[in-house]
Amino acid sequence: MKLGHVRLLLPLIAVCFATDWAAAQSVASFTVVNADTGADIATFTSVGTVSIVSTPRINIRANASSVKSVIFTDGSSTRTENTAPYAYKGNNGAIYNKWAPTAGTYVINAKPYAGSNGSGTAGTMATLKLTVAGAPTPPSPPPTSQARNEAARFLAQATFGPTDADINRVMSIGQSAWIDEQFATPRNATHQAYFEATDSSGDNAESRVMDSFWKQALTGPDQLRQRMAFAMSQIFVLSFVDSVVDNDDRAVAAWLDMLGEEGFGNYRRLLERVSLNPIMGIYLSHIANQKADPATGRVPDENYAREVMQLFSIGLVELNQDGSPRKGSNGALLETYTPTDVSGLAKVFTGWSWACPDWPDKDCFLRGSNNDRSDPDRGLKPMVAYPAYHSTEAKTFLGTTIPAQSQSDAAASLRVALDRLATHPNVGPFIGRQLIQRFTTSNPSPAYVSAVAAAFANNGSGVRGDLKAVLKAVLMHPEARVVGDTSGKVREPVLRLSAFLRAFPHQSSSGKFVIRNTDSPGTALGQTPLRSPSVFNFYRPGYVAPGTQSAARGLVAPELQIANETSAAGYVNFMRDNISAGAGASAGSSLGSRDLKGDYSAELALATDVPALVERVTARLTYGAIGTARRTEIVNAVNAIAIPGSGSSSTQIEEAKRKRVNAAVLLTVATPEFVVMK
Amino acid sequence: MTHRSIFSGAPAIHHDAARRLFLRHSSAMSLLAGAGAPLALNLLAAGSAAAQSATDYRAIVCLFMFGGNDAYNMILPTDSATWAAYTATRNQAPSSIALLPPGTAPNLAADAGSPARLGGVLPITPINPQGRTYALHPLLGSLQSMFDTERRLAIVPNIGPLVAPTTKAQYDQSSHPKPARLFSHNDQQSTWQTMQPEGAASGWGGRMADLVASSNKKAVFTAISAAGSAVWLSGQKVRQYQVSGTGPLRMGSDSSGLVYGSSAVANALTSISGSALGSHVHEADMAAVSQRSVAAELDLRNALRPASDAAFGTAPASGSYNPNNDPKLQYVNPLTGSATFNSLAQQLQVVARLVQAGMAGATGTSRQIFFVSLGGFDTHSDQNDRQPDLLARVAQAMRYFDTALGAINARNAVTTFTASDFGRTFTSNGDGTDHGWGSHHFVMGGAVRGGDLYGAFPTLVARNPSTNEFDGSPDQLRNGALLPTTSVDQLGATLGRWFGLSDTQALQVFPNLANFNAGVRNLGFMA
Repeated sequence: MKLGHVRLLLPLIAVCFATDWAAAQSVASFTVVNADTGADIATFTSVGTVSIVSTPRINIRANASSVKSVIFTDGSSTRTENTAPYAYKGNNGAIYNKWAPTAGTYVINAKPYAGSNGSGTAGTMATLKLTVAGAPTPPSPPPTSQARNEAARFLAQATFGPTDADINRVMSIGQSAWIDEQFATPRNATHQAYFEATDSSGDNAESRVMDSFWKQALTGPDQLRQRMAFAMSQIFVLSFVDSVVDNDDRAVAAWLDMLGEEGFGNYRRLLERVSLNPIMGIYLSHIANQKADPATGRVPDENYAREVMQLFSIGLVELNQDGSPRKGSNGALLETYTPTDVSGLAKVFTGWSWACPDWPDKDCFLRGSNNDRSDPDRGLKPMVAYPAYHSTEAKTFLGTTIPAQSQSDAAASLRVALDRLATHPNVGPFIGRQLIQRFTTSNPSPAYVSAVAAAFANNGSGVRGDLKAVLKAVLMHPEARVVGDTSGKVREPVLRLSAFLRAFPHQSSSGKFVIRNTDSPGTALGQTPLRSPSVFNFYRPGYVAPGTQSAARGLVAPELQIANETSAAGYVNFMRDNISAGAGASAGSSLGSRDLKGDYSAELALATDVPALVERVTARLTYGAIGTARRTEIVNAVNAIAIPGSGSSSTQIEEAKRKRVNAAVLLTVATPEFVVMK
Repeated sequence: MTHRSIFSGAPAIHHDAARRLFLRHSSAMSLLAGAGAPLALNLLAAGSAAAQSATDYRAIVCLFMFGGNDAYNMILPTDSATWAAYTATRNQAPSSIALLPPGTAPNLAADAGSPARLGGVLPITPINPQGRTYALHPLLGSLQSMFDTERRLAIVPNIGPLVAPTTKAQYDQSSHPKPARLFSHNDQQSTWQTMQPEGAASGWGGRMADLVASSNKKAVFTAISAAGSAVWLSGQKVRQYQVSGTGPLRMGSDSSGLVYGSSAVANALTSISGSALGSHVHEADMAAVSQRSVAAELDLRNALRPASDAAFGTAPASGSYNPNNDPKLQYVNPLTGSATFNSLAQQLQVVARLVQAGMAGATGTSRQIFFVSLGGFDTHSDQNDRQPDLLARVAQAMRYFDTALGAINARNAVTTFTASDFGRTFTSNGDGTDHGWGSHHFVMGGAVRGGDLYGAFPTLVARNPSTNEFDGSPDQLRNGALLPTTSVDQLGATLGRWFGLSDTQALQVFPNLANFNAGVRNLGFMA
């Protein structure tokens, strides 16, 4: 942290031994850190050597305990640090100030104190004699500015991938203003409109929804809205994998539009639109759900009642506002609901079915049509109440009772139920934490979840459930800006593809953005938007990947649930062909006829200057996350592709240049630095 | 380690004791060879050790039915009292899900998938029928003969996760220990595999393998999923390896080892994707996945016989093998009547190929665990359109796998069990069922004492209309969901004994096993 920073000239390079052995304040060791990444390089107690060949910018952390401040001295300057990490050259949170020493030997002292600003009991001064070895001349500074990388990293979180125009805009107006500008940006067109306009295209209906998704993701000006809709589609899951859902693809296009509208709206309204959506009614089977029949023993379908609680609102266990589970007196987690609550709430979701011209006819209720008369827009309209099929019994759930109704009133039942869910204290931390995971990091701190839950509880104007306020809190929290060993998340495969396609702007030759089904982990992404295998999404927010470093650190990693040996190879091979041949489906069997072609003209211009080429490509895809050592690996491999000399045809030369570009891009998208967004 | 302390109370011997001893000897070796064991058994153990590398191969396969299979319609008691309760409970408007009695002819005019269209349930005759009669779903014909005639299929009735034996009265006591988050899909999927809800870091398959597969020379091939991530496979040391249905995939390069015509790029590609330079945990984890992908593919490239090998598939008359067109991997879709590719069979095809390679010593493994799965069992609605199709796939895939294992002489070495999130409610909501708990499951293999039930078949009654409860049965809870009487720990420990676990090790792997009497810890279905 920025603190009292006093420059003194000391007469000698001293190794001081304080003798206050009684004090608990101590500096046990020093850790040299890579100031570009925040990663630890090595830890020493008194003497050490580090190389600056691959880590030219470093800093040194004093590992102190029982202290409130540490004062560093090195014979020419003094720095007082009042919060951890106690960094020799200072830091801003987890971001270390960069120190680019030349080769030589440095002596650094650190003295711990029990109080702030060197007050209170002093501990033993520790001293590090550090030998810096390596390149005599420091490497050239990164060609992209830190500010530019910061803007790009922010956009990688908030959009389908940074573009030059968006980066410039963020740098010009700042992140907060950019978010506000996005909130006000209208969408180009609805997915429903695209779907209807392509009705005579001959393309499969599900494909046209996918095409619209990719068109908006890659070219839409309302990136934040589209990205929010995609995030929402992974919390409020509806999937084409269900063949009955796939029967009304126009309605799924409208569903995605709805998530884009309500993603910038209010949670309570979103919950109602989700609950009354007839396609959700099909997916979670509460459409045409009938009240119990006491004579025969038939019971209501409990599916939606259970999942609306488990997945769409409150989750399984009582939460504190910081997202941690509340615990009972015996230390056990407190489950939010019992089977009895599910049965009680299931009665609310009886009697709802299709909008239908002959409402409230029985066949309208059961099938959405009567005598072949149905509403052609029934998939777009909310489900309507059919009084004869709604339970009139008392409905008790989550401590709320809707009294028995003398005449069934499904709308009144629903209002009470959704109010109960939307006001439950779990919603803010439960939904907020998942949004954090979709946008910025898999493992937010309790403080981060608290901040987002607070925005959910009150947008600053006394409104609960304002999702714009929630989203802004997600994106603007300081933790979203910090890079450390456990920050960020594995980039989900769809977002890897979209970031690549936007980094090297791709045009669709058909205008249709024909990417379509990318389900196969062996030959594509193992993930397709709107094709989750179940209502539990592609991966679980609480997924712990067994046997991994993240598991050993007690961390979740949702996206690792779909990362395996097959998808690792499948992703690389898929990208190999996307880069060399263009992305998306081929009109024929030839790779050459693929629909999306990237613009690599700037990269081709650098093909004879491989270090510059690799600098450019890695910056566009990883925003500073790739360091010198990795760039060198890529440069060496790309250099192995020879540019033919004089006597070669221009075609041969251009082919070789293109191969170099392809290789630079492929090797970069295969790096862990790209696959993980730190 | 004392064999008796845990397992002495195994149920009555159903088969010839000598055969049982012979088949069990290698797993019992470590127990029997100790001080005080009879001389003959010591010799048997010694002989077994000498032959271990060549013949002592064993594998366990978990076939997981994601979504919660309605076992009430998979294995049915057909005694008249139960049948009447079943029919009264499940014959509801608008779509009855009550299957029809044995011998009912299919009504070809009825709706596809409906009980009338399927025809009557298929009788089976357990060796010890517990005083009742039973049948299988009409589309499980290939399992009927496997149970009745070939005796390579056993049934474990009313099984589910339990912390300790639990009565209905205890179920209502908050002080009585019960599995957390019952009735929740993801948590019960995890509990079946690990004994803990979602977030568990190891499963009982992997924990068994930690203990008995440490001699595998290629640890990466100890635990293999032919489906997605499955925590059942992960132990403290053992990690899951994921293989596609067609076999391992080569990263990046073509068959000449080139990427974009360059070997340097090809080499850099595998090296870069498999190495994390910093100390970021997710980078390290993703790099580790890539590294295993590349290394394992190199190991398997020449170790597996092709899918078109006659033991596993059907070689095409011309052109390259296409699994989608292989009749061995096709089932008859009951809704359309046409032969259709069965992805579950393809998963078991690659498992059979890996078993063959394992037995041949080509993958450096003598103990392996495998995971295959099929989704879609969450039949809240349209159950008649969904479950028959799924069960038809399960039946075809299990029969295919049994046949393939026969072709490579591996039936006695491989034991397959079914699992699912949970069973479902006895009640119907008009065209489907809701989340339950206990369920019935199959165990299949040459080392299985097939043709019998292992565990008490539950009492099923009709709802008491005055209380709306199933209070006539000690086994049925709200909406008729089953309260399990056999625990997943018992199933796993029984398999684990066959796999080579000692008593003490079984108690380590299965944390709840100690809560069950020693006499019931081994269900006895393994010979």
